[in-house]
Amino acid sequence: MAYVSMGEAHRRITDYLNRFSDAVYSQDVVSLKLLFSFSSNSHFLLPLADALNVFQDANRLIKQSDKYSQFGEIIVPLFRSLQNYRIGNLVDAYHAFEKSANAFLQEFRNWESAWALESLYVIAYEIRVLAERADRELAANGKSPEKLKAAGSFLMKVFGVLAGKGAKRVGALYVTCQLFKIYFKLGTVHLCRSVIRSIDTARIFDFEEFPKRDKVTYMYYTGRLEVFNENFPDADQKLSYALTHCNPRSEANIRMILKYLIPVKLSIGILPEEWMLEKYNLVEYSNIVQALRRGDLRLLRHALQEHEDRFLRSGVYLVLEKLELQVFQRLFKKIYIIQKQKDPSKAHQMKLEVIVKALKWLEMDMDVDEVECIVAILIHKNLVKGYFAHKSKVVVLSKQDPFPKLNGRPVNS
Amino acid sequence: MMNQGGNTQTVASLDPNLVENVGFEWGTGFELKFVEHFRNRYVVDASQSQTSYLPSTTGSGAVSWNTHGVDNRSIENGILPNSTYHHEQHTEPLVRNVQDGVNVTSVASSSSLGTTAVSQDYSGYTPYPNSSDPYSYGNTGYQGYYSSYQQQPNHSYSQPVGAYQNTGAPYQPISSFPNSGSYPGPASYSGTYYHPGDYQKAGSYPSSGYNNQTNSWNEGSYANYNSHQYSNYPADATGSYNSGTAAAPSLQYPQQYKQWTDYYGSTEVSCAPGTENMPVATTSNQVPTAPGVTAGYPTTNSQLPTTYTLPWQQDSSSSQMPPLQPTAPINGSHDSYWKHGAPSFQNHHVSHVQPQFQKPMDSKTPYDNFQEQQKVACPQGPNLQYPTAQQTPQSFQSPPVQTPLLDNRRTSKLQIPTNPRIASNLAIGLQKTDKDGSTATSAAKPAYVRISLPKPNEKVSSHDAADSILKPGMFPKSLRGYVERALGRCKDDTEMAACQAVMKEIITKATADGTLYTRDWDTEPLFPLPNAELVNKDLQNSTAVSALPKYKRSPSRRTKSRWEPLPEEKLISKLATASNDTVKFSGWTRSNEKDKKPFSGNMSKENGLNNIKFLLSEQKSANKSAQRPVKRQRLAADGFNARDNGDASSDSDKEQSLATYYSGAIALANSPEERMRRENRSKRFEKGQGNRAETNHFKPRNAGAGNLYARRASALVISKSYEDGGSRAVEDIDWDALTVKGTCQEIEKRYLRLTSAPDPSTVRPEEVLEKALLMVQNSQKNYLYKCDQLKSIRQDLTVQRIRNHLTVRVYETHARLAIEYGDLPEYNQCQSQLKILYAEGIEGCQSEFSAYNLLCVILHSNNKKELLSGMSRLSNVAKEDETVKHALAVRAAVTSGNYVTFFRLYKTAPNLNTCFMDLHVEKMRFKAVSCMSRSYRPTVPVSYIAQVLGFPSVSLTNEGCDDKDSDGIEECVEWLKAHGASVVADNNGDLQLDAKASSSSLFMPEPEDAVSHGDSNLAVNDFLTRASSSTS
Repeated sequence: MAYVSMGEAHRRITDYLNRFSDAVYSQDVVSLKLLFSFSSNSHFLLPLADALNVFQDANRLIKQSDKYSQFGEIIVPLFRSLQNYRIGNLVDAYHAFEKSANAFLQEFRNWESAWALESLYVIAYEIRVLAERADRELAANGKSPEKLKAAGSFLMKVFGVLAGKGAKRVGALYVTCQLFKIYFKLGTVHLCRSVIRSIDTARIFDFEEFPKRDKVTYMYYTGRLEVFNENFPDADQKLSYALTHCNPRSEANIRMILKYLIPVKLSIGILPEEWMLEKYNLVEYSNIVQALRRGDLRLLRHALQEHEDRFLRSGVYLVLEKLELQVFQRLFKKIYIIQKQKDPSKAHQMKLEVIVKALKWLEMDMDVDEVECIVAILIHKNLVKGYFAHKSKVVVLSKQDPFPKLNGRPVNS
Repeated sequence: MMNQGGNTQTVASLDPNLVENVGFEWGTGFELKFVEHFRNRYVVDASQSQTSYLPSTTGSGAVSWNTHGVDNRSIENGILPNSTYHHEQHTEPLVRNVQDGVNVTSVASSSSLGTTAVSQDYSGYTPYPNSSDPYSYGNTGYQGYYSSYQQQPNHSYSQPVGAYQNTGAPYQPISSFPNSGSYPGPASYSGTYYHPGDYQKAGSYPSSGYNNQTNSWNEGSYANYNSHQYSNYPADATGSYNSGTAAAPSLQYPQQYKQWTDYYGSTEVSCAPGTENMPVATTSNQVPTAPGVTAGYPTTNSQLPTTYTLPWQQDSSSSQMPPLQPTAPINGSHDSYWKHGAPSFQNHHVSHVQPQFQKPMDSKTPYDNFQEQQKVACPQGPNLQYPTAQQTPQSFQSPPVQTPLLDNRRTSKLQIPTNPRIASNLAIGLQKTDKDGSTATSAAKPAYVRISLPKPNEKVSSHDAADSILKPGMFPKSLRGYVERALGRCKDDTEMAACQAVMKEIITKATADGTLYTRDWDTEPLFPLPNAELVNKDLQNSTAVSALPKYKRSPSRRTKSRWEPLPEEKLISKLATASNDTVKFSGWTRSNEKDKKPFSGNMSKENGLNNIKFLLSEQKSANKSAQRPVKRQRLAADGFNARDNGDASSDSDKEQSLATYYSGAIALANSPEERMRRENRSKRFEKGQGNRAETNHFKPRNAGAGNLYARRASALVISKSYEDGGSRAVEDIDWDALTVKGTCQEIEKRYLRLTSAPDPSTVRPEEVLEKALLMVQNSQKNYLYKCDQLKSIRQDLTVQRIRNHLTVRVYETHARLAIEYGDLPEYNQCQSQLKILYAEGIEGCQSEFSAYNLLCVILHSNNKKELLSGMSRLSNVAKEDETVKHALAVRAAVTSGNYVTFFRLYKTAPNLNTCFMDLHVEKMRFKAVSCMSRSYRPTVPVSYIAQVLGFPSVSLTNEGCDDKDSDGIEECVEWLKAHGASVVADNNGDLQLDAKASSSSLFMPEPEDAVSHGDSNLAVNDFLTRASSSTS
């Protein structure tokens, strides 16, 4: 830490204080938000933290002047947070930051207009990031990480302030998105529901009026929730919205969206191009896509096994697993096509043993009963049109479109 | 609620008066105005107080008061646009009542006890009726007051009713004051204070009406007091007066709440609120008079923020009076009361209530704890003792509250909207404030900040600390340096706190003898480091105490709240007098003395006498009630003795003389034992200053036998506060102190849910539990018996904090039994415990149980998210386990709907997997048949279905192995028919399922044993039959 003279320290602190009060008085949100932004404005704030360490009397400085002292409740803890942040004491930094954020929220509530929304965004963001880091610190010390949860409840409070009528409502979606991030990270996605409800049901505010970036984030997370629920049409719609509205240059975001959109699309029978998987580095899906194309059950199972951890973590495993039926369908279709080439007149009668043999070639060891069951399920789910004659062990396919395409509809369940 | 009856009664009897008064009341323009005002702002309290006041004051006093009140309000109202603010203000009147009590007390300053306050109140009352001479406190006999008060109360009481009705619906509930049975009001605390028990029974006291009355009287007295006091003592400067009054109301608002809540709680009324106010009043008085203005002043100043917190009413109050709040709101009556009242109030209450519920604790323990820790002996009885103990701790808290300068700042700061939700942080706030109070560490940090984030306070650097001690600009720079040097030596917070205390004293002293600016601080030797431990202990005690109330549910134990105010005084007095010694009459005496200065000595003395008398008489009656809990009393007495012995009080001359004077007065009026008690009580205030002696006593006692409860309780409390504070690691808690070591040798024990702290004599030690487990495992009795036994084993393990292989085995055994029996709720309990135990690294059948867990999720909860996380948590080792593999296979079969695989797995299930699958078989079969009827044409042989769908059921296979097939087919046909399938016989006589016909007719029959609450295990008949059949 570079040495900072007393005078310099004093100068830096008063500079900060001046900026703060000027920003508030002139309602200059651009400069105000910089003053809160630990993570992106560190070139300005870190030297300030050094100064605070040298010049211990900052609190007095704040109290001395009316100009500053009215923001004392915000700034004093903020300074303390900054100091702790500087020395890497993140848990304490979080505590102080939350205190400051609370004070700011109080002020914000009293401001009629929503001019300071941007700085509230910054605070919401910073508090989340700080909480995550503080949790990491806590976990490293063997304590239970709970700060993120605390940040969640703080943001819920912020949401409460914003979610009314009026201009401030525009900010609600940003906070919602931050909340989503927290809930998804904590694995408490069920908490999202209440927030979603208040966004979705609010008629006073058109969803389209929210900032685009928030809409995209919101759609992304709600889409993911739909994936969990295996509600594919809705998931498709939401994730597609996110994809089409998201900044085309931010490939990381596109990749995140695709990570969920691809399984959803696969489930409704739409396969991605290989180049896209490569472009966005989603090659873990390529074998699955291959398996679907070829009706290669073995490949599908291998692919699932290979990336099991990843799929489980992202939560798409169960979705991908369900593709098995589509792979069967594809396999049956291939058999049907071959039979048709050999003997078109008997093509619509598919013997069970043929299927069993085909599976054996794929090293899938399934006996007749099991295959029969699969066939029954395929017919039941309308992936195959026709019926199964138990006595003769033959699948009788419909002559018209025996293997209907999904065409954007999910498999019947 | 007990009091309710009493109250209503009083109301009825008062009616005539009411009428009278109403007329009067309405005659006054002010009243009308107020009512209107209130109507708009649901200031129930205000209106109430106001009304009550009016009737009582028939004389000039009333007028003066009125005007005063009006002035204040209007001014304040004008200043504060905020609704919150208004809210506060309205409550003001009530607050003032409290304040009155306070003021009076300070003036009188005769007795050093809490009781003093009470008596003073009364004295205040007496003058009031006369209205001619407000200062004749002493002159009017208590008796007179008493008698008159009977009537008076009526007025006041009834009055509110009228007022409310006029104001409209919202207020009406108030009129139904039944609640106020407990309501007695701050003033009444004298009565309640001494005989909490009695009071409730209405034994010694005239009635609940009395209490109510008291309130009103307080107000009255207040009026007198305020209006006259200051004018009489110009020396004090009106400025101070203003500040005092203004500050007080705002401050007290929260307290008031508590009061109300308390009253409603129907517990003893806390005299605390009244007392609490005391400090405020004192401060204002003090500041002008005391030479050490600077010394006292800065402190109060720094604390100012607390007052601002008022907008957070609840919060701030919580910080000040933590114990009170949480407990009080609980009462139903209270709630209802508030419901009627302003909605905003309701909110507050709600928030209060929450904390309470969250920490359901054994109230008993804390109670004992207090006794022990604080050594405060209360002759009056268990209830009483308790409060007393609390009082001491609270003294730390209160100081922050006193703000002479409130007025200016309030305007600017009050606007901060209240967030009732924050109240949940109560405990933290308490702890913090305690600290602050005693150490005065945190400079102008607003109370609410403290509440939400206690931690930072502790971290205050020495610099900051110095800051708080020395207000910048007020002290020579060299002094500042000195303080910083001194604090710089401190290694941790506790030391720092101790240092600060010492330092403060030094400075105050210096200020007092005028050497503050002349002394060479640069060369002044540093004082030896105070024993931080002691201070710390003290702090902890106080923390514990303050935290306690949360745990108290029962009204009788809730007494504490009323004690809160006292502590404040202590601190103040400390500041003011600048003496470090342990004073016998610590808090009260001193403050009183100080206060007295400005006022005429005679008056106060006389007051004191009167008061004392009054007290004594009350005490006597209280004694009766006190005797019931003999044991506790004994403890308390012990505490007393110890105290006495250890107490080599080095009082200042003045104090000494005062003390003697008082004791003399007491002797006059009362028996020696009474006096003893009083002294003891007074001593509990020493705690802040005379920690040493106390802590010493404290330790040995803890070690003593029978202290288990206390120890545990203290640990609990401390731990609680730790958790709340979030600043200290859980490891710091002495969990061993909480742990019971069982002595019971019985192997068999019925399960009984604990409602109090476990008794070691009924808890089995580990060896016995081991045997008990074996016994259960080998028992031939039914599940219900085993479940009961296992639960009691689990309980014993839990209370002894045994977490080892035995624990795991117990839970595993229980889980398995539960699975076998299909008792999912119990299984879930065990499973969640097992998860924790495994996570702690205790070996067991992890794989088996993770398999069960998976199956449970798949088959029963069907929660995708949970399933995913369950699967991703599986270790590679676990995945190799047969049970787990099987579970995973089952999962795959279920998700794909592959019934063939499912029933194959069903037949080969290891361990208890079958039991889980059992529960799913029906669903799976139904799905399978509907699938078949959709995809098969024209028919499916029933034999095939029976084979594929696992007929016959496992349970039947045992019986007839030879003709298994036919059995299966029969059962299958039965099942199919029950589900609406159409079964036909073909040419060969083989049964076939007519797929087409069945596809539209299948249905899921209602389960026969379904019960409305969804858990068939809970069906009474079923339960009974199973129980009887399996026992036999």
